[in-house]
Amino acid sequence: MRTNDAISGLILIAASLFMIYLTLDFPDFPGQKYGPALFPRILGAALILCGGILIVRGLSARRVGGPWVELADWTRDPRRLASFVMLPVLILIYILTSDQIGFIPLAFGILLLLFLWFGTRVVLAVPIAAIATWVMYWFFAVMLRVPLPRGILNNIL
Amino acid sequence: MSNAILQAFSLVFDPYVLWVCLASAVFGMFVGAMPGLTATMATALLVPVTFFMDPVPAIGAIVTATAMAIFAGDIPAAMMRIPGTPASAAYADESYLMGRKGLIDRALGANLVFSAVGGLFGVAILIVAAPMLAEVALNFSSFEYFWLAGLGLTCATFIAQADPLKGFISLLLGLAIATIGIDPAAGHPRFTFGSVELLQGISFIPAMIGLFAISELLRGVVTIGQAGEMLVQQVGNVFRGIGSVWRKYWRNFLRGSLIGTGIGALPGAGADIAAWISYAVSKRFSKEPEKYGTGHLEGIVEATSANNASVGAAWIPALVFGIPGDSITAIVIGVLYMKNMNPGPSVFLQNPQLIYAVFTIFILANLLMLPIGWTAIKLAKLTLRTPRNILLPIILLFCIVGAFAMTNSVYGIIIMLCLGILGWLLEENGFPIGPVILGMVLGELFEQNFMTSMIKSDGSLLAFFERPIAGTLGVLTLALWAYMLTRNLWKRQPAPQG
Repeated sequence: MRTNDAISGLILIAASLFMIYLTLDFPDFPGQKYGPALFPRILGAALILCGGILIVRGLSARRVGGPWVELADWTRDPRRLASFVMLPVLILIYILTSDQIGFIPLAFGILLLLFLWFGTRVVLAVPIAAIATWVMYWFFAVMLRVPLPRGILNNIL
Repeated sequence: MSNAILQAFSLVFDPYVLWVCLASAVFGMFVGAMPGLTATMATALLVPVTFFMDPVPAIGAIVTATAMAIFAGDIPAAMMRIPGTPASAAYADESYLMGRKGLIDRALGANLVFSAVGGLFGVAILIVAAPMLAEVALNFSSFEYFWLAGLGLTCATFIAQADPLKGFISLLLGLAIATIGIDPAAGHPRFTFGSVELLQGISFIPAMIGLFAISELLRGVVTIGQAGEMLVQQVGNVFRGIGSVWRKYWRNFLRGSLIGTGIGALPGAGADIAAWISYAVSKRFSKEPEKYGTGHLEGIVEATSANNASVGAAWIPALVFGIPGDSITAIVIGVLYMKNMNPGPSVFLQNPQLIYAVFTIFILANLLMLPIGWTAIKLAKLTLRTPRNILLPIILLFCIVGAFAMTNSVYGIIIMLCLGILGWLLEENGFPIGPVILGMVLGELFEQNFMTSMIKSDGSLLAFFERPIAGTLGVLTLALWAYMLTRNLWKRQPAPQG
């Protein structure tokens, strides 16, 4: 997704203004002229300046016929659009449910779903998902002692 | 000193460390050779694993994997015209055309041998230059460090990028992200919105996995099944005739390695830029420039030496000043901080054995490149066929687990997801990601030295120029800024989108 520079500039300026607004209640220390707010404010000012230049640039690109937002070809192919959306959604699902469901079932499910979606045959997808899940569990949870969530397998493992 | 060298040897030639290096070498070869997976991504994926190791094996893993990945990118470039890493893009056409002429053995052989020797050249400079620079750097105060960080950031944004303004914005974003958490001067929490986890700042490794790996995956999934089957050519004896190549092109090797070392040591510019520039230089000074672009070996020798030479050289500013030479060393610096081995001149005094261990691993990695690279070329027919529809989901899961392992909570995964989407959006709109990570790494150092200097000088900006080295660095930085600004004003015309 390519947006016109003017839009990027506007977003940048809005975000910087918000950042500077947040620095307003940072404390000043008596006898100390330079507090925790100084550096973020300098950054914010510089970002606003850059955002301004981007807006000028974007508007002149508009004048020679540039679009506001340009979508890449793949966004018109529903299948590929779905592939793209799937990744962040699956990560989000992992974030929200990993504590209850646990690493092993969730990882196996995510892998299997993606394999099948990307066109791997079932006879291959199931064993590969199982092996990959097991290897990753063994490596991180057993070897490196990372406390991967156990979830529904809590009583079994 | 000899004592420290002996200690370094016993640290490196430990079966466990050697095993880690070998495994990372194979890993680096594979990731580098797979088109779409970069050397930076190899490092990003390795870091969660190295987190659990001692400093020496951790650094060994990263050094070996990156050196291998930069070479391995040449293999699919020659065989399929698809560079495995951006660093091989400069001469992908050239080596592919050599293959079309039936010279694939010669092209890959030159790639392998000159990658290894170029890498050793860069390491030799690192070994000579770093301790000398460290001695100078011992006298540095906050003013010098402020300007060094400033100069590093300036180089990163201006020299290295196609669009300096967007590079600069990326850098500012990185610096702004680095301000989240407890501020380094007064200890006041900033931008945490009351969250306890944000107090420690944005965790560096999950952020990096997001910026480099997740954004890469997002770009990758939409092209799965798009690229058709590629023709992979059969390879014979790659070392045959390499002696005559040496005799004919040793000048190109030297010049390429020198340029690569210089660019690698320059903060912000890495292997890919080294390859592009040395290829262009090679063509410019060649006696037969008309042969370039038709499958001619000369430019390949020069550029393949350059990109590997830059890998070692990038560690010079990283080890001596804690200023990354490229995005890989930016990650390395993050790792060194976690290992309580804060880079800077004092490491050379307090832990010289660690520095010598880094040198030893570098030499080892470049020697290891010959046998492992040879094997990788032989197996390329097989590995290059690893289907991406199996690889990408596994990498995704690996990222999730890696980010989780850094914080032992889903906080790491949340950071990874947010910065992954941010990284994807930035790249789509022509904002480079490298400066973001530089800003995040240098942010604290930069702010701390800025604040210390401001407080010391009571706000007088003149004090930033009073010490001789600080003054020189400061003038240099400002001159670069002035040059870039005037140059941009000069040719002020509506820039094309992107």
